[in-house]
Amino acid sequence: MNEHNPNTPDASDPVIRARALTRYYRRGSETVKAVDGIDLDIHPGEMVSILGPSGSGKTTLVNLISCLDAPTSGELVVGGRRVTGMKEDELVGVRRGLLGFVFQKFHLLPTLTVAENVELPLLFLRRPVDRDATAEVLRQVGLENRAAHLPKELSGGQMQRVAIARALMARPRVLIADEPTGNLDKANGEAVFDLLYGLAHAQGLTVVITTHNLALGYRADRVLTLEDGHIVRTEAGRRQAAA
Amino acid sequence: MRFILLAAKNLLRRPVRSVLTILGVGLAVAVAVSLTGFNRGYREAIEDSIQKLGFQVMIMAKGCPYEAATMMLKGGTGLLYLPSDTYTQVVGDPDIQAITPIFIGIAAKDASSIRDDAGDSAFTILSGIEVDSFLQMKPWLTFKTGTGYAGGRWFRPDSPNEVVMGFEAAEYEQRRVGDVFYASVTPQGKTEPVRHEFTVVGVLERTGTQDDGTVFMSLSRAQAAFGRPEQLTILGVKLKQFTAAKLKEFEQRWVRLPEVQVVSLQQVKTTLVSLVGTAQTMVAAVAAVAIAVAVIGVVNTILMSVYERTGEIGIMKAIGANRSDIFQLIWLETLAICVLGAVAGCLLAVLGSRAVEAAIKVLVDLGVKGSLVRITGGAVLAALAGAVVLGFFAGLYPAWRAASMRPVEAIREGE
Repeated sequence: MNEHNPNTPDASDPVIRARALTRYYRRGSETVKAVDGIDLDIHPGEMVSILGPSGSGKTTLVNLISCLDAPTSGELVVGGRRVTGMKEDELVGVRRGLLGFVFQKFHLLPTLTVAENVELPLLFLRRPVDRDATAEVLRQVGLENRAAHLPKELSGGQMQRVAIARALMARPRVLIADEPTGNLDKANGEAVFDLLYGLAHAQGLTVVITTHNLALGYRADRVLTLEDGHIVRTEAGRRQAAA
Repeated sequence: MRFILLAAKNLLRRPVRSVLTILGVGLAVAVAVSLTGFNRGYREAIEDSIQKLGFQVMIMAKGCPYEAATMMLKGGTGLLYLPSDTYTQVVGDPDIQAITPIFIGIAAKDASSIRDDAGDSAFTILSGIEVDSFLQMKPWLTFKTGTGYAGGRWFRPDSPNEVVMGFEAAEYEQRRVGDVFYASVTPQGKTEPVRHEFTVVGVLERTGTQDDGTVFMSLSRAQAAFGRPEQLTILGVKLKQFTAAKLKEFEQRWVRLPEVQVVSLQQVKTTLVSLVGTAQTMVAAVAAVAIAVAVIGVVNTILMSVYERTGEIGIMKAIGANRSDIFQLIWLETLAICVLGAVAGCLLAVLGSRAVEAAIKVLVDLGVKGSLVRITGGAVLAALAGAVVLGFFAGLYPAWRAASMRPVEAIREGE
């Protein structure tokens, strides 16, 4: 019997797999167990919501699975690569082209146009700019007429759409969105969630999203609820139920 | 999108801050380039002035070496005299290729004349020369031509009241060939000036030396006018072999004469350079401080920019930038500021060099004529290269700080 090599991806393998994942912080003399022994599999094309109160460990967990932070212990495989123990520059190599990010704060570069912000990942990936691809991504997020605008000329919802387009530009397999609706009003929040939902559905994109908004969160395939660094509940979302 | 374009756009985010930082670098570079230009220009001007004296060694009366050094180059009123028979003793020296006796005196003027450094009296420099030996030293002297100046020639030995005027002397006095030139001279031992009337027989072309402000007449006429028939101001000497050894030998032979000092023009040059050496050192120190302040300003500006963009740097790392990308970006921003500052500084130095020169001339009496600030292409290139080097070092710390940020912490701090 062949032993499974975690660094060799398989179509049926989860795109993200965590085993006994922990992330502890020191805060003075106290040890904060932000993520404490989590086991998790996220499969290609799956849309997963992570819910939980503030301080439950949602952001820490997505930082770990998106290779922005290193675990204290445990096993983490992302895109078929075992990332536990990797150094920062190695983690960059894992993130590049595999993961796309959307954050609560948009962090668009104010002196770049919408199109230039969207194309920014290509600079770091050493890929040539393809204007047609940029236009297509902007069309997907409904901003095809805003390519030449500066971020200050956009609403909050539009800026978050630019951030989503930027994340999509590198054609990632996994889109990780940490509180993407946190800075938006209800209507814009729903619109952004609809967009992510539609992209996941249309492109088979794996989406991991953290949110405080239960109604939005339950529109995913699977809903994980965190408390004190533990997954206390795993439920099927409405998308899964509908299927 | 290229890194350089991204860096440029980042600098445009805070245009006033960027421009002020660039100006800081520019001012420092302008001071440094101007100073370099001044150093070069001043040395070249001294070389040029000394070359145009026509002789390598002066024999003159003992006195203040600074006065001796500057007198022949910029004129002066504190003249000392040596006995005429010094000439007869020295003229047969085997190492001499040519020798010319010169008598210099100062004539008082009532108006419309050359003013001395203090500006509170008017005077004209009268120089008595032997034309033949003088022209051996200065074969380049030619007469001005054209209307009012035609037929210019040297004075004849048998016409004691003829003079040749230097270019500026003629300009100031508004004299042309054939005009009368008046000079009031107080002879040695007298208290009342005697008014002399001369005829201008030639006006010299501009030479850029003290000769331009001098009125030349025969040696004997000048000696007589000043009541010093047996005295000279200097003996100009050109040696057959102008080497340090020959000069030392020559000096040792004639320094034994009483009342005489032998001054090589190399010594004159050294003296003149030393006259402004302290000022140059101080200005160089100011330039060094200005550059240091500018570099600190650049580091501060870039660090502020890095801290302000902590979140963005985190995002850039998240979307694929590695440490070297961030380092490169921040380093390019620093370099752009330094290079733009250097370009601005060089432009400022080139365009403002005349003003700087005028200021230097007001502050320090340099004793040479002509342009003193000579900014060369080499100096400009050196400034640009220096800016690149400074930019490289100034950018290291901010770039390292930015590159070292962990993305998750940077994003958190930026929120």
